[in-house]
Amino acid sequence: MYQTSEFRKGLKVEIDNAPWIITDFQFVKPGKGQAFTRTRMKNMLNGSTLERTYRTGESLAPADVEDGNFTYLFNDGEGWHFMNAETFEQIEVPKEVLAEQAGFLLEEMPCKILFYKGRPVQVEIPTFVELMITYCEPGSRGNTATGGAMKSATLSTGAEIMVPLFIEQDTWIKIDTRDGSYVERVSKK
Amino acid sequence: MIDAHGLRLRASALSAIRRFLEGRGYLEVPTPVLVPSGAFEEHLHVVRAADGALRTSPEFALKRALAAGLGRIYEIGPCLRDRESGPWHGREFTMLEWYRVGAEPDDVMDEVEALVAAVATAMGLPPPGPWKRLTLREAFLAHAGIDLAETDAAGLSKGRDADWDDAFIRAFVEDVEPHLSGPTFLLDWPVGQAALSRVHDGPWPVARRFEAFLGRVELANAFFELNDPTALLQRAASSAATRAAAGDAPHPVDRDLVRATAALPRTTGIALGVDRLVAALAGWPNLSPGRVEATWN
Repeated sequence: MYQTSEFRKGLKVEIDNAPWIITDFQFVKPGKGQAFTRTRMKNMLNGSTLERTYRTGESLAPADVEDGNFTYLFNDGEGWHFMNAETFEQIEVPKEVLAEQAGFLLEEMPCKILFYKGRPVQVEIPTFVELMITYCEPGSRGNTATGGAMKSATLSTGAEIMVPLFIEQDTWIKIDTRDGSYVERVSKK
Repeated sequence: MIDAHGLRLRASALSAIRRFLEGRGYLEVPTPVLVPSGAFEEHLHVVRAADGALRTSPEFALKRALAAGLGRIYEIGPCLRDRESGPWHGREFTMLEWYRVGAEPDDVMDEVEALVAAVATAMGLPPPGPWKRLTLREAFLAHAGIDLAETDAAGLSKGRDADWDDAFIRAFVEDVEPHLSGPTFLLDWPVGQAALSRVHDGPWPVARRFEAFLGRVELANAFFELNDPTALLQRAASSAATRAAAGDAPHPVDRDLVRATAALPRTTGIALGVDRLVAALAGWPNLSPGRVEATWN
């Protein structure tokens, strides 16, 4: 158990059956009362935030979490397979854990996987990836990236994203994986 | 880190405080830092030294001077409280404490407003204001939608504290203090937070005490001082029991304090954190620019 005096930024704690990471904490001691540690935390599974106040002497259990460096191998429709970069052990991550990130995975892509109570719960893929467009409607001339009009395009991974009208089929583009948005065209691979 | 500008601002604040109090007829009285008993309240922790402790405030000794007939006195000096550290707390800090015989809490609020304005002016800053004066019951109604007189411990802190006073303080920290803005006096505290203040009986009895805040920074604690030695001993026993239950050694009851309390005139007393006053007025994020701090590992 972690006592309030051991609270640090980055400490991972278990609250209400979820892992949280402490992002900020402050000692407070009002008037004639007891001392407290005002603590700000982020949920490691869904990113939601929480502020709680703990009395000196209260404690929190450490969260059973660990993360590791992995390499993406392949998917078989049911699960996504990764290899531990240090031990070469292979693991399968269920589809629902990856969600929309699955559309941006390329073979041999380095990823960070977070385990909670031994189960993979989060896959962190690179912020920017470069992928080829395998299908989109023909580009219309005169449109620029700042024009605002967008069209749908299918990537080599099967994912669909919105791109500016001037983008042609078979071009490579850079994508921000945090929100799946188009960033820019990249030169031929 | 030594901040020369910060130290100059602090020095101008200190001389402004002394000018202000001397101008109002207060006598500076130096009292010992090393004392037989360093604290009274259950939630204060002393730094032990020699066969006694370092004071957490100069209160006990100053009350002896009051009991001996001095009517307006003050002290500025170091005080120490163990287990307190953070941006707005240091184990060692500078306390200003002053007593005024015959004054009412309203007079002391007026005096705090004038003192803070004088210090700000000396630091070359605009005086903060206007000050708000709110009872704790009003502050809880306004910010937490809770009537303190009607709410039990479970209602105050959502079942996290069994003890009413613990729940009150947690609710204060979570639901009221974050909403404080500008200069504010919070008065009429629950009786469990009385420390050494008198209690005003009524349908919902309150301690005749107020705290002064600049924004969210607690600046000062004022008391309409208890002068009933029997009540003092009862509160000392309650403090000792709370400490024992938490595994802390009870504070020894200061014999001079008991004697002085019996002979105490009708008086107000107030303690103000000088480091905090300077930092809050200057808009610093913590106390450091106004202090020279030791490096601890």
